[in-house]
Amino acid sequence: MNRPELKSIADSVSVCHVKTDRFKTCKICISMALPLDGDIAAKAVLPYMLRRSCKKYPSFSEFNGRLDELYGAAATAFVRKQGEAQVLGLTVTSIDDRFALDGKSVSSDAAELLCDMLFDPDFDENGTFKADDLETEKRLLLERMISEDDDKRAYSVKRCQEIMCENEAFSRNRFGTESEIQSLTPDRVFAAWQEVLGSAVIRIVSVSSGSADEISNLFSQRFEKIDRAPRDATTQFIPDAKEVKYIKEEQKLKQGTLVLGFRCGMTHKDEFDPAMSVMADIFGGGTYSKLFSVVREKMSLCYFCSARLDRSKGIMLVASGIETANEEKAKNAILDQLDEMKNGSFTKDDFDASIRSVKEGLLSALDSPEVWYSNQILNKEIKTPQERLSEFESVKFEDIREMAQKITLDTVFMLAGTGEEDDGE
Amino acid sequence: MTVNKIITDTALGESYRVIKHKSGLTIMVLTKQGYESTHAIFATKYGSIDTSILRENGGFETIPEGTAHFLEHKLFESEDLDAFERFAKTGAYANAFTSFDMTGYLFSCSDNFKENLEILLDFVQSPYFTEETVQKEQGIIGQEIRMYKDSADWEAMFNMLRTMYEKHPVRIDIAGTEKSISCITAEMLYDCYKNFYDLSNMVLAVAGKATVEEVLEVADRMLKNSGGKRAVREFKKESPKPVCDYVEESLPIKVPIFVLGFKEDFENPERTLKQVVSTEIIHEIIAGRSSPLYNRLLEESLVNNSFSNEYFYGFGYACSMFSGESTDPEKASAEIRKEILSRKLNGVSEKDFERARRKLYGRMVMGFNDIESIAHDMVKSDFDGYGIFDASEICRTLTLDDINERLGEILCDDYTVLSVVKPLE
Repeated sequence: MNRPELKSIADSVSVCHVKTDRFKTCKICISMALPLDGDIAAKAVLPYMLRRSCKKYPSFSEFNGRLDELYGAAATAFVRKQGEAQVLGLTVTSIDDRFALDGKSVSSDAAELLCDMLFDPDFDENGTFKADDLETEKRLLLERMISEDDDKRAYSVKRCQEIMCENEAFSRNRFGTESEIQSLTPDRVFAAWQEVLGSAVIRIVSVSSGSADEISNLFSQRFEKIDRAPRDATTQFIPDAKEVKYIKEEQKLKQGTLVLGFRCGMTHKDEFDPAMSVMADIFGGGTYSKLFSVVREKMSLCYFCSARLDRSKGIMLVASGIETANEEKAKNAILDQLDEMKNGSFTKDDFDASIRSVKEGLLSALDSPEVWYSNQILNKEIKTPQERLSEFESVKFEDIREMAQKITLDTVFMLAGTGEEDDGE
Repeated sequence: MTVNKIITDTALGESYRVIKHKSGLTIMVLTKQGYESTHAIFATKYGSIDTSILRENGGFETIPEGTAHFLEHKLFESEDLDAFERFAKTGAYANAFTSFDMTGYLFSCSDNFKENLEILLDFVQSPYFTEETVQKEQGIIGQEIRMYKDSADWEAMFNMLRTMYEKHPVRIDIAGTEKSISCITAEMLYDCYKNFYDLSNMVLAVAGKATVEEVLEVADRMLKNSGGKRAVREFKKESPKPVCDYVEESLPIKVPIFVLGFKEDFENPERTLKQVVSTEIIHEIIAGRSSPLYNRLLEESLVNNSFSNEYFYGFGYACSMFSGESTDPEKASAEIRKEILSRKLNGVSEKDFERARRKLYGRMVMGFNDIESIAHDMVKSDFDGYGIFDASEICRTLTLDDINERLGEILCDDYTVLSVVKPLE
């Protein structure tokens, strides 16, 4: 696989094509990044509206029928938060032409369909989104947002982030608020569609055996007709915590969830040090980490306890599912392990294990290039997994302790379980 | 004698090797050109449904619920370095899983494949259990069990299974209960190990960059000889009627969840692959994304995108499941049942059949991108007595008559269970 090139086809619109014939599929993913502000809910519902139908295949059934005809091509819409950017996207995956039973080209039809979804929505006679469709998608978005809270681990992590970053844009839900979604109108979604096409930073990543020109031409023809005034998303970084915030909530659950939120000393997205990733990994990454080997294995306090570093915001979160009564014990155990990191109480073996694991993760990213390159939408240049790897190879053992010392505890969130004791049945 | 055969699917452009190793183990290797990593699974046909051991006197003796899963956790340990510590030295990602009908130990890596395979084959063949380590694990697994008890999806499914099956052990939780695992002893684990971890009862599946030669070089060196003993499963036919047709529970969630199950009646404990593929096509026609049913349920606000279906089957159990979030589970369930009755009355049309067949075929082709899913398929297909290309071949050759005949056998409206998890009052 050669190094893919980033080709600009319009102002802040670029195509990254990975040419390879080792997959059975042809994938195209279009990601669109905007600052996490304005009418967040209207922008959030947009990809789902575009995923329903298009002018050529109006109605949800016809659109899905078309996907089935294309050998079960999968179209997905997504909304994610990356730092303080709202990233919207559409992905189409189809089988590669070599496997079609009737010998027809599936991949160019699939690419065409993705273009139609984005540029030729299924508008009503007033030239805007259909009100009925929007009502359905509003309900689906609301239910999606609400049911995310039913996953108690995800809910606890989200709450910790909200409390920790309450005065930062980062605390906003990527879907907006319930009332913002409820009040959505076709006109607001139409305005969001125009805003996204005109001002989002856009990256199209395709992975197929086809040529780069095919994809670039298809999309550049469509973008020619659009006036572009791109807006970059920037993220606010708070390098260290002032005082520790503590919030406890109760639910009738059998297990409690403890989440600790930390600041990592970063002041800008470009000053990220790969040594910080290694530190977080030794602390709470793999099975060799402090949290797994001590808090879970030695102390038997929990089934899961791990740390996740969010480099796009400069924060780290530790989550653990525990017996509610063990809150203090678990919190102290986690903080003790962090102190060990700060004091340099870890071995060269731990360090080597972590570097190997990071390397492993990077190399396996080569087997799903569309994810790897789409995630780099906020960077002007792309890096291959090998290039990222060489940055990690220059991390030194001595750097780790220094990284750990930058970590400060900002927020403790406890979701306490008040469900009655189970008798085992 | 080592028997060796190559199985090829020219349409898919893939082939793999099946080796009956002299040790008694079945080894399967699918080498993928151009892939960076390799995924290996060493699995035994021993899962949560195996709650009894066939003794020499011909009788079955019961073992505690959750023993297979408990053994999986404990096998990672040894007298000196545990398996996780050994994998940390190579950088591989290692894990294990227990399902209803198998236990698997796996790693994925891009480097040091032979060394990793050596560790995998070694630790799975070297049980080391003591009363002390068994006791320590009860705390960790206790938290794992509680985590699932708080998960509404999990509860909805197991409540359905408990209500559908009166005796079959598919009704019990994979990890057992806090009570049942408290009876587990080191001696018991050795006994189960001896019965279920005979190499004749196991499979090694490898997919990705590694070659057959690399696999065999390590296997020849590391595999011990087996006693040639395949574990026997007990089949007690039970009534086609579920215990009851409705079950509900309340949990602290916001959106209700339902699972509607249709119990299948049969004489033979195992399903043929043709029955499986036909059933999946029927599910797709009835409840797939382009089906009138799904669209109607969406329009009437009875389901959201979480609506899904599954053909759930294994030794001695088989049922069709339709599940999702719904603000009115009883009404959604009634609509699904009504649709199925009408489909059974009118039969499936050629057009619907073609569309669903194409989609399923395309999804099968896409599955061959993913080395992890290929390795899983190899294990499962060997345990079930098929090859991994057989399903796509059946999908290509099925006829409409096959589908309509199968439709007559399944989805009986007299054998349904509706399981609902509601928000707390």
